[in-house]
Amino acid sequence: MLVLRNVSYAYGDVAAVRDVTLTVGDRQLVALAGPNGSGKSTLLKLIARVFTPQRGEVLFEDKRLAEWQSKEYARRVGYLPQDPDPIFPMRAIEVVVSGRAPYLGRFAWESERDWEEASRALALCDATHLADRYLDEMSGGERKRVFLARVLAGTPSLILLDEPFSALDISHVQQFSELLREVVDRTGCTVLFAAHDLNWAAARSDRMLVMHRGTLALDATPRDVMRADVMETLFGFQAETVVAGGRSWVVPKT
Amino acid sequence: MTRAVLILTTLLILAIALAITFGAVPLDWNDPTARMILLRLRLPRVLLAAAIGATLAVAGVTFQTLLRNPLADPFILGVSGGAACGAAVATALRWNRVPGLVPIVAFAGALLATAAVFALARRRDHTDPVRLLISGLVLNAFFSAVILISFALSPQSDLTAALKWMMGTLFGATWTSVALVASLLAVAMIVLAFVANDLRLLVFGEEDAKARGVDVERVKLIGFGVASIVTGAAVAVSGIIGFVGLLVPHLIRLIWRRDFRLLLPLCALGGATLVVLSDLLSRVIVRTTELPIGAFTALLGVPFFLSLLRRAS
Repeated sequence: MLVLRNVSYAYGDVAAVRDVTLTVGDRQLVALAGPNGSGKSTLLKLIARVFTPQRGEVLFEDKRLAEWQSKEYARRVGYLPQDPDPIFPMRAIEVVVSGRAPYLGRFAWESERDWEEASRALALCDATHLADRYLDEMSGGERKRVFLARVLAGTPSLILLDEPFSALDISHVQQFSELLREVVDRTGCTVLFAAHDLNWAAARSDRMLVMHRGTLALDATPRDVMRADVMETLFGFQAETVVAGGRSWVVPKT
Repeated sequence: MTRAVLILTTLLILAIALAITFGAVPLDWNDPTARMILLRLRLPRVLLAAAIGATLAVAGVTFQTLLRNPLADPFILGVSGGAACGAAVATALRWNRVPGLVPIVAFAGALLATAAVFALARRRDHTDPVRLLISGLVLNAFFSAVILISFALSPQSDLTAALKWMMGTLFGATWTSVALVASLLAVAMIVLAFVANDLRLLVFGEEDAKARGVDVERVKLIGFGVASIVTGAAVAVSGIIGFVGLLVPHLIRLIWRRDFRLLLPLCALGGATLVVLSDLLSRVIVRTTELPIGAFTALLGVPFFLSLLRRAS
């Protein structure tokens, strides 16, 4: 579905993504892990067409990104920035239905179908009860659900999420992590999400991509990433691995 | 949606009816002088008030959306400063002796100011909203300096007219100015409607909009360009009428809370109503002179705004 070939991007003189090559298939939950500043967000933006690679190329469904008509691409690929904030008060359902924007004609208003897709997306995120509430009256966890629903309303086949767990407490991270798994299993799309919390990046994922100083340092199953030696070389801390519930968790050595 | 438009249209028609009825000379169809005053003076003035009000409110909501800043108004990027500067320099050079020249210089000043602000804010094919705001702020400070010096050098007799213009006035409205402002407004509304579906996505941030297939730089260029040109024309014709562009979008948002596509027509109607009523008050409250209209846009708008704000919270 998605292929990156030798993709590089720099902000001025500062290289953010260096020579990244990878392939992502259908129906996968893929975590993009790595320390702060390792290039996770930039990589997502390059796939979302927010930035254009300075070197290399990105292909989606065998077509170069430049060859995609921008609205058409936006229908297939949904991107959620880290903390989107509409500056003016908006109700959840309005936020969600704005995810249908790539389907709207120039002077068109949302159709019945668009509102239905928005309600369906809210239901999928277990957020139907939030529909008429204003965004600025919601908790961080509720907002995250609404914004995930906004991406889902566009019925994309690839979803890119930048730090979906940020500013959530542990029970909400757990719920949200389950929710991402459900989204993949129920809609059949691929979700690629950036997360700096390794344990939660790994928890429900099929695969992990670990970024290190702009390069793709490791591409493996969660089990092969969550190891003491990997933590030390790629994340710079001494760790122990604990196996619980059939999964590996890393704990810092004290 | 249709209800909101209906309510505001009714209000505007009522306001226009009131503004035509009341004035220094009572309305009397049988009196030829009164009829002439009505057709040549009062009617164009009331319609100009409506066109200017609509223009400023439309520009205001466009600037607020594009800059993602609730404090933005049509004058924030130096349009008013540039226009005022042009007018002040023209006055100092005694160009006001040539009829119609000052508004043209003011309009040129407004356009030059906008172009300068954009040139300052643009870097590597990207126009950063924060840099735009700062450039506007700095240029406005520069214009204030030029205006002060121009005033010091202007003949005493010309200063009153210049000051009145700076406070905003619809005195001397003609059918030509009505046609000019109204047609520019119509074009602006059509162009903005053309990009409205993209523009409203900008409230979520530029990167978000880009990922949704919006050509952000193009939308910004169109939006800022159109809003600046109509603001420049409005200021050139009627001086600097404050509060409308800032207040009306907020008022409308407090009542109807909708996205840009709906706010656009609603702001046009709301802005027109507010300025028509303000102009009416500015002419009838004191018989001997006209009070500054900008004072009444604030005097009418602020209490209404505050009561809505209290109710909303």
